[in-house]
Amino acid sequence: MGAFAEIMFGGLFQGSLYAMMAVGLALVWTTIGVFNFAHGVFMMLGAYVAWQFVSLGLPIAVALPVAVVVMAGVGWILQASVVRPLIGRPNIVLVVVITTLAAGSLIENGVLTLWGPRSKQLPSLLEGNTVIGGVGVSLHQIAIIIITPLILAALWAFLNHTRLGLALRAVAQNEDASQLVGLNVTALYGLAFAIAASLAGLAGIFMGGYRFMTPVMGSDPLLKALIVVVFGGISSISGPIFAAYLIGFFEAACSYYFGLYWTPALLFAVLILMLMVRPEGIFANQSRGLA
Amino acid sequence: MSVILTVEGLTAGYGRVTVLHDLSMEAGRFGNVGLFGPNGHGKSTLLRTVSGLLKAKSGSITFDGEDITRESPRAIVGRGLIHVPQGNRLFPDLSIADCMSLGAFSPRARPHEAENREKVVKIFPKLAERWRQRVRTLSGGERQMVSIATALMSHPRLLILDEPTLGLAPKIKDELCASVQEISKGGVPLIVVEQDIEFLLELCPQLYLVNHGTVETEIKPGQSIEHSEIMSMYFGH
Ligand SMILES: Nc1ncnc2c1ncn2[C@@H]1O[C@H](COP(=O)(O)OP(=O)(O)OP(=O)(O)O)[C@@H](O)[C@H]1O
Ligand SMILES: [Mg+2]
Repeated sequence: MGAFAEIMFGGLFQGSLYAMMAVGLALVWTTIGVFNFAHGVFMMLGAYVAWQFVSLGLPIAVALPVAVVVMAGVGWILQASVVRPLIGRPNIVLVVVITTLAAGSLIENGVLTLWGPRSKQLPSLLEGNTVIGGVGVSLHQIAIIIITPLILAALWAFLNHTRLGLALRAVAQNEDASQLVGLNVTALYGLAFAIAASLAGLAGIFMGGYRFMTPVMGSDPLLKALIVVVFGGISSISGPIFAAYLIGFFEAACSYYFGLYWTPALLFAVLILMLMVRPEGIFANQSRGLA
Repeated sequence: MSVILTVEGLTAGYGRVTVLHDLSMEAGRFGNVGLFGPNGHGKSTLLRTVSGLLKAKSGSITFDGEDITRESPRAIVGRGLIHVPQGNRLFPDLSIADCMSLGAFSPRARPHEAENREKVVKIFPKLAERWRQRVRTLSGGERQMVSIATALMSHPRLLILDEPTLGLAPKIKDELCASVQEISKGGVPLIVVEQDIEFLLELCPQLYLVNHGTVETEIKPGQSIEHSEIMSMYFGH
């Protein structure tokens, strides 16, 4: 019973964070066709911005939405400065890897200078602990487990049941045709980045509520999000969501049975095996496009 | 009828390569306009410049009395100048219904969405049967229908069709030609690029031969023209 509860709980919790990160990465890939290597930095910055508002005296319930909005702006600006000017280049995928890495490292060092190297922590969303199935868990983590699927469902509904969401999916598939029906392609690119940055920032705030924050706190989640996206297929957002939870459960089971030390190695072993069998991702249908 | 589109002294191209040289033409005075000419001589480039996908290097484009030379494709769509590009792949993973919603995206087209959808269903009854089907699974002819239908959803004041029948089998081609005729009779003026000269002559009272990136010959209504004469324009002098 204890084992089951622990793995269930750990999987749901890690899966939530991975999903929140991976979805943004996939959204940017499907709409613009680039990989954003500043995505982990978005996560970190979201946590620091929220921390700044909290230390100015705002309650976390206010600081959180404000920081998420700020992150939307940051995502938009990053897109306008290091991605948009390069669109149309033949080698855009590689160039954007470099420009987003560069921008990310600039932001990371900016944060280090501005807020210092000392670890910080955000208040929990909910204070207190409880015991479920013999495992002690914090209410903060339970809140994350519940909130994340709601946010992801909202994103899915936005993409699939609104005209603006339809426009985002369209621009992913054919830029010329999008322009010829009057879509504002640059604004849609900005929107994709803004949504991705907000979700990453939110994941950072979630994480900052139970672990110490550092300027490099986003690098491991970025790596995990990349793995998730490779697992789930980069062609959709539902693929990465399922893959995120799957990997969450896998990690939770591994660290329960084999220990934390072996978990990354086992994860990569499974990843490599899977790439040999299904290179397009477990949940991918061969096509590219959001859904 | 009055002139709706004027192109004057247009020079345009890709990067450092200039494709259009000092090209001038107008549309609307006599109804539909047909463009023809050998492959690779700039017909599609002209249309892409008119709809704002390509920036003009010099010259001017006037639509409905207003200069649109430097406008974005979105602004131009917003004016009702709608372009169906050559070999449009459209949106492979969207359904026909989604494409229709996108066609009606601009604020100008939105209020006419229901009325235009009825028109589309009337002109292309085939599409109504497969409203939920993804574009990638459609045949070439069906995809061309969806392209034109999407343009109709944009409530065009001038509709540009770049080789609507390219690569289609005779039967489906005839069907499509009939649909284009119907759209024209419905009161939307057209600019059409076509390799099928019979169809072009039937549809367009005014023709331009585009050669080496410029208008080489203009054929106005009343100027009787033989099929063979056009063929000789095509194939050499
Ligand atoms: N994206 C592009 N980049 C560079 N050159 C291009 C591009 N598209 C077209 N061209 C060149 O511009 C010239 C004119 O091409 P365009 O497509 O306008 O001709 P066309 O008259 O429409 O031909 P077709 O009848 O085959 O469609 C050609 O030499 C072509 O190679
Ligand atoms: Mg052409």
